[in-house]
Amino acid sequence: MNPLRRVAFVLLAAALLFPAGARAQKFNGRELVQASLIADTSGIVPGKPFTAGLLLKMVPGWHTYWQYPGDAGIPTELKWHLPNDWKVGPIQWPIPLKLDEPGDIQIYGYHDEVLLMLQLTPPAAIAGKSVQLAADADWLVCEKVCIPGSGKVQLDLPVADSAAPANPELFAKFRDRLPKPLPTGASAAISWSRDAKAFRLTIADKSLAGKTNLDFFPLPESPTVIGHPRRAAAAGGGTEFTIPFETADAKVQTLDGLLVVDGQAWSLGTKPSNTDGTAPVPPGATDRSGSLLKFLLFGFIGGFILNLMPCVLPVISLKIFGFIQHAGDSRGKIFGNGLAFSLGIFAWFLGLALLTIGLKAAGHQITWAFQFTNPLFVVAMSAVVLVFALNLFGVFEITLPAAATTGMLGWSAREGYAGSFFQGVFATVLATPCTAPFLGSALGFAFAASAGVILLMFVAIAAGMSAPYLLLTAQPAWLRFLPRPGAWMVAVKQFMGFLLIATLLFLLWVLGAERGPEAMIWTSAFLLALSIACWMKGAFLLPGASALRRAIVLVLMLVLVLGSGWYFIGEKFRVTQTAGPSLTKSDWIAFSPERLQSELAQGHSVFLDFTAAWCITCKFNEASVLETASVREAFERAGVVKMKADWTNADPVITKTLQQFGRVGVPLYVLYPAGNPNQPIVLPELLTKDLVLNHLQTAAPKVAAAP
Amino acid sequence: MKTKLLFTTLTLLCTGALFAAESPQVGAPAPGFSLPSAQGKTESLGAHKGKYVVLEWFNPGCPFVQKHYQSENMQALQKEFTKKGVVWLTIDSSAPGEEGNLSAADGLKQINDWKMYPTALLLDADGKVGHEYGATNTPHMFIIDPDGKLIYKGAIDSKASADQADIKGATNYVKAALTEAMAGKPVENATTKAYGCSVKYAP
Repeated sequence: MNPLRRVAFVLLAAALLFPAGARAQKFNGRELVQASLIADTSGIVPGKPFTAGLLLKMVPGWHTYWQYPGDAGIPTELKWHLPNDWKVGPIQWPIPLKLDEPGDIQIYGYHDEVLLMLQLTPPAAIAGKSVQLAADADWLVCEKVCIPGSGKVQLDLPVADSAAPANPELFAKFRDRLPKPLPTGASAAISWSRDAKAFRLTIADKSLAGKTNLDFFPLPESPTVIGHPRRAAAAGGGTEFTIPFETADAKVQTLDGLLVVDGQAWSLGTKPSNTDGTAPVPPGATDRSGSLLKFLLFGFIGGFILNLMPCVLPVISLKIFGFIQHAGDSRGKIFGNGLAFSLGIFAWFLGLALLTIGLKAAGHQITWAFQFTNPLFVVAMSAVVLVFALNLFGVFEITLPAAATTGMLGWSAREGYAGSFFQGVFATVLATPCTAPFLGSALGFAFAASAGVILLMFVAIAAGMSAPYLLLTAQPAWLRFLPRPGAWMVAVKQFMGFLLIATLLFLLWVLGAERGPEAMIWTSAFLLALSIACWMKGAFLLPGASALRRAIVLVLMLVLVLGSGWYFIGEKFRVTQTAGPSLTKSDWIAFSPERLQSELAQGHSVFLDFTAAWCITCKFNEASVLETASVREAFERAGVVKMKADWTNADPVITKTLQQFGRVGVPLYVLYPAGNPNQPIVLPELLTKDLVLNHLQTAAPKVAAAP
Repeated sequence: MKTKLLFTTLTLLCTGALFAAESPQVGAPAPGFSLPSAQGKTESLGAHKGKYVVLEWFNPGCPFVQKHYQSENMQALQKEFTKKGVVWLTIDSSAPGEEGNLSAADGLKQINDWKMYPTALLLDADGKVGHEYGATNTPHMFIIDPDGKLIYKGAIDSKASADQADIKGATNYVKAALTEAMAGKPVENATTKAYGCSVKYAP
C-alpha cells in the first residue's frame, strides 16, 4: 500500500470508527479483542472471597498494555458495577512482555491472551439466588496502529453454601505468571540510590547478575516520569540498572517494579503489584494508648526474664560461679562486683539505645536485635565466644589484665571490677537475640516513640536484667546458700567452656543461615587461626620469657590474627552470597503478604511464625512446641496453613509486617482463623503445647461454622 | 544485504539510544530545528525567539489525537493561545508507509477537515526532530519559553484515556503551563507522563 493510500485508508477507518461514538472493537472487519469475565469458582459463597478475571484475547500481532504501559499506550481499566458492600481488590497484573517499537520506544504489554485477576469479597449475606458480576472494561489494543476498545463484561453466578473451583487451567496459567515476592534474604542484595538525573538499582547477587536476560520493569508512581532502565555491570560482580528520570519528587528514593529473569519475576518495592502488600492486622495491634509507665514496667519485667533465656545461660552460669568465689570477700567488694556487672548491662543497653536513636534519626528502619542481622557482628561474636572458651579450657591465661587486648577477658582476673563489667556486657550481647515476653510490645512501643522514650525503655530493660544481681550482691547473706569454692571449680570452668563452644556452633549456624555454608567455613578458618594465636600466647608468652622472644611471639600472633582476618573474613567471607530462605520443614510455606492474602482468600486458617535463625526463643518454641508430633497433628487436623516468615536477614517486607503488628522483633506468632481472618489472634512469645492446642481448637470450630 | 540490514539496525539502535540520552529535559534549551510545513513554507524554531512556542506531536490516525480533535478540545486550545501570540507548531513524525504519514497536500486537507488552528503543520517524516525532542506519543506536548528554554514536556491533560468524555474533568496541562508562564509564575506540573499512541517512526 503506498503511503497516500494508506493514509486515506487510515483516515477512512478513523472516519468510520468515530461518528458512531461507541469505540469499535472491529478493525478491518476483525474483532481485535474478545473480552470476557470469568471466575475461579462455580458459585458465590457469602462472605468468602474469590478471584475473578478479565480475559482478553487479542488477535495475533496485537497487544494490550501492562499497568505501566511504558513510553506510550494506556493500561486496561475495569470499572465494576457491584453493590457497595462488595470489596474489590486491585488488579493482579501478570508479568508483561517488553516490546520495542521503532524510534527507541519501549512499551510493556501482552500478546495473544491475558487474564487480569482480582479478588472479590462478597458480603456475608446476599439476597437472591444468583449474582450478576458486571464491569466496564476499557483497553487500548495496538499493532502498528492503536484502537481503543471497551465493553461491558458480565458473569452470572449462583449463590451457594459451597462452591467448586472453575476455570482451573486458565487461573493456574496466569497465577503462575504473577510476579512473586522477593525471596526472604534476597532483599539484602538489592539497594537503591539516586542522583540528580537517575535512580540506580544495584543487585549484588552474582548468580542474578550472571543472567543475560535479567531485566527491570519499572512501576513509577505518578507524578514520577522516567526513561528506559539501562543495565550495566556493577563493582564486585553485581549488576546495576540506571533509570533516568524526567521528574521525581525529592522524597522518592526508590522505584517499585519487577525484577524479571527467565520468565519469572519478583516484585520490588513497598507496593507489590499484586496486592496492597499488607497483612490483616487485628484492631488495636498497633494501639499505642497504653501508658508509658505500663510499657516501662513491661520493659523491666522483660529485662528480668532475659536472664532466664537459653542464650544467656553460659554467661549467667559463669556469673553465679563468680559469686561463689566472691562469697568470702568483703561485703563492699561483693557489691562492687555486682554493681560493675550491672554497669556492663547498662552500658550495652545504653549504647544500643543511642545507636537506635542515631540510626532512626538517619532515617533507617530499626528493629530489635538488628545487630544480629549483620553477619560481621556474628563473626565478631563467634571470635569472642571462642577466645572466651579457650581461656576457660586453660589454653591460655590472662596474665596482664591491664593490657588493652585483654579487655573483655579480664573477667577471669578474679578480683577485677573491669572483668565484672565486661561480663555484664557479654551477657547482654548474648541476650539480645531473645526477645523475652513483654519485651516485644514494650520495644514496639518505644521504637515508634521519641528518643527520650527509647532511652527510658532501654534503661528499664537494663534495670530489669541487672536487678537480680544487684539484689544478690547487696544481700550477700543469700550467697551463703551457694556451695564453697574448691578444686571442683576448675572442672566446672572447663565444662562452661563447652557450653560456650555450643554457643559458637549456634553462631556459626546463624552465619550459615545468613550467608550459606561457605561463610561458615571461612569463619571457622579464621577461628582456627585465632585459636592458634591463643595457644601461642599460652605456650610461649610465659612470664619469664625474654623480651625478644615475647616480641617475636607477639608479632607472629598479630600476623596470624590480622592475616587470617584479612584473608578469610576480608577477602573470602565478604563475597559470600546472602542465603535464600531456609525452610527445613516442607510443611511450612514461605511467608509473603500476597501468599497470606491468597490463602485467606481461599478460606484457609493461617498460622504465621515470624522467626530468625539467630532467635533462640524462636528455635526453642519451634523445637519444644511447633515441631512436636502432637502439635503438628493438631495443625493438620484443623487444616491450618503454616507459614514461616524468616527474618534472619531482616527482610524489609517482613519488617513492615512486624511493624503492622506493632512489633520490632521476633518471635511473633499470629493465628488467622478462616472464619474471621480480619481478627487474627496474636499468641504470646513463649509458646506451650497446651496454649497452641487450645488456640487451634477455638479457631478450628469457627472454621467449620464459617458460612 | 544482510550485513547492510544489520548495520542499519545497529545504527538505528545507536542513534536511538543517543537520542534517548540527549532528549532535552524541562529547563534545558530547546534544540533548534527547521522543517517544511504543509503550507509550503519552512519553519524554524529560531525564527520564533521571543515568543512562546508549543510543539504538538500529531498523527491523525491515532485515537488519542482524534479524541482531542473530534471534541475540538485541541482546536480551542490552538485558537486561544495563537490569539495570545503563542506560536503553535503541530509536528507529524510518522514515517512514510506508517499510520499518519502526510504529504503537504494531505496536511492541508487535514487542517481543513478538522478545522485545525496551528501556526503551522510541520512534516518530519524522517523523525529527526521527533527523536531530537524524545517525542514518544501522539499527542506529546512541549512548550518553549521566549528565551528558547523548554518549560513543559508531557501529556495534553491529566486523564490518560481515549474517551472524549474524560476531557471535561481533566486538568489541561498545556493550558495550565502556558497560563502560569505567561503570568510570570513557575509551571507547577512541568514534566508529566505523556499518553497516547507511539509515534510511528520508521522501522
